[in-house]
Amino acid sequence: MKPIRRVLIANRGEIAVRVIRTLRELDLTSIAIFSEPDRAALHVLLADEAYPVGPGPSRDSYLNLDRVIETAVRVKADAIHPGYGFFAENAEFARACAAAGIAFIGPAPETIEALGDKLAARAAARAAGVAMVPGSDGPVSSVREAAAVAEKLGWPVLLKAAAGGGGKGMRVVRAASELEAAWSLTRGEAASAFGDDRVYLERYLERPRHVEAQILADSAGRVAFLGERECSVQRRHQKLLEETPSPAITPATRARFAEAAIRIAKQVGYLNAGTVEFILDERGEFFFLEVNTRLQVEHPVTELVTGLDLVAEQIAIAEGGPLSFGDSPPAPRGAAIEARILAEDPSRNFLPSVGRIERVRFPQGPGVRNDAGVYRGFEIPIYYDSLLAKLVVWGEDRERARRRLLRSLDEFVLEGVKQNIGFHRWLAAHPEFAAGRLSTSFLDEHFQPGLLAPSHEAAEVAVLAAALHARDERLRVNLPAEDGGARSAWKWPMRRKSDRRRR
Amino acid sequence: MRFWVTLEDHSAEVEFHTEGGRLVLDLEGRRVEADFLRLPDGEVYSLLVDGRSYEVGVAPSGDGVDVSYHGAALPVEVRHPLEKLLQSQKHVGGGAAGETVNAPMPGLLVAYRVKVGDHVAAGQSVAVVEAMKMQNELTARRGGVVSELLASEKASVSAGQPLVRLKPEGA
Repeated sequence: MKPIRRVLIANRGEIAVRVIRTLRELDLTSIAIFSEPDRAALHVLLADEAYPVGPGPSRDSYLNLDRVIETAVRVKADAIHPGYGFFAENAEFARACAAAGIAFIGPAPETIEALGDKLAARAAARAAGVAMVPGSDGPVSSVREAAAVAEKLGWPVLLKAAAGGGGKGMRVVRAASELEAAWSLTRGEAASAFGDDRVYLERYLERPRHVEAQILADSAGRVAFLGERECSVQRRHQKLLEETPSPAITPATRARFAEAAIRIAKQVGYLNAGTVEFILDERGEFFFLEVNTRLQVEHPVTELVTGLDLVAEQIAIAEGGPLSFGDSPPAPRGAAIEARILAEDPSRNFLPSVGRIERVRFPQGPGVRNDAGVYRGFEIPIYYDSLLAKLVVWGEDRERARRRLLRSLDEFVLEGVKQNIGFHRWLAAHPEFAAGRLSTSFLDEHFQPGLLAPSHEAAEVAVLAAALHARDERLRVNLPAEDGGARSAWKWPMRRKSDRRRR
Repeated sequence: MRFWVTLEDHSAEVEFHTEGGRLVLDLEGRRVEADFLRLPDGEVYSLLVDGRSYEVGVAPSGDGVDVSYHGAALPVEVRHPLEKLLQSQKHVGGGAAGETVNAPMPGLLVAYRVKVGDHVAAGQSVAVVEAMKMQNELTARRGGVVSELLASEKASVSAGQPLVRLKPEGA
């Protein structure tokens, strides 16, 4: 296999930045691609080279297969790192890379195809003898059929896009009356996000934990288990916070868990980095969910406890080389937690927020890692997902990591768009979270937007700051300080100020 | 100098004095010593309240300012005390007003869930808007009868753009 010297990153945002960092450390050339609104994005600024691939909407740029491949060929990339999302789990793209003589940093197209189709993945798990959640045998083609399957499985059920992943294209349906609305939404999302509207059903387990296994597989057939990550804290099936190790997994369970993950990987002849997702029920039994054939958003927690650079391992594997640690993966040390900092408003049902980053200061200090895709002045485009940054902390044990997370969140300044830093502070301080009692229903059970209301102290600080600010403004424009005539003039110091901002 | 400051439904009067060069605030009968320093970093201030240190952002917005503190932006209205008097004399007009459901963010109007003439309950979904790859159901806050659909399906909508007009039931 030819050595990899020039790597094109077919992605944007924090993950493109993260890949560029490893490339720089390995002394490889990093090649960014960017859409029109991303011209000034951080990954463009940090890469060695950067090339445009089209207008804002993903399908016209980052998901424009011909354009991305043509660019990679033209700029003589040896390999493409897909990041996560976009083409990361697209077999057609991996095939196009191979056809163009470019190494795709990920599994073989056949593996992506087999595992990217959730239904085929279930078949592979069945063949590997790994337990899975009961569900429909194949896709369901009508609401009526879905209702019949759901009656057989028992409510509630999970409606899932066969081509879905990363929490997209998935809905809980609690009763027959909700099925029709959920059906059209899920199919709509599946068609628009994945171009494949096949949908299937699974029984929905109440209060499960979401635990996943990180694996690395090299071309010599070695499969390494690098520990688990617990990603139970979710909203709308989107992970919000991930940690390793899982507080719910005992050493005995971990051994069985590792074995199941490795068995599935070997069953499909897996190559490169991958994640085998399971759900863990209240009795500690785990069931196969799906395989993500890519680097996960939450991979940094694994990196912090193992000391490995998963992107570097991926590149070595793609070159046909061995894993850096041979047959014995490093024993994980301590605990790590990642908080996803998203542009969304937790007090308004997590609605996405767009705008300009007016001010940002990342937390620093011992055991703190920031993987961010934004900087001050950057305008968040509306076309892509809402992940702004990942705050990842390490501690000698879970409690120390949790306190470090709280401390880091206190330090974090991010203004200009609505974000969920306050939400994470609430979460990390919650006694149930501190006790490690997690489930995917955590937010349903414990969270109400009212809980994010400002504390008495914060409210007082805001009142004082507003009054002091008004006083400064008044003094600055040199108006009479006393009441006579002030009312008519009152509005214009504010107006002046907003004029200044607009300029 | 005095201000009438409102945060959500709580109002307070803040009065300023200086005592020997130090700034002292009277906050609802409480004496607070404060120091307010604008930092070089834009509209950001270091606030010392009786020695406790806070870092706050202050950005003009509408009738007042947004104070950002600890990751949250708190909208504070700052008015002259005279306005308080004026407002207390004004009678708030009774009776239900109509409701407009606006796009909360820029995105694509995927579909309407209602048509003109439909009766909509509070909390009922009226439209689906897709932004940042997620489909979001927009719901009516109070409900009513749909009087107008203001955008077209599959069209791009901007933040705050009105999408559905509702008139009160029986109006």
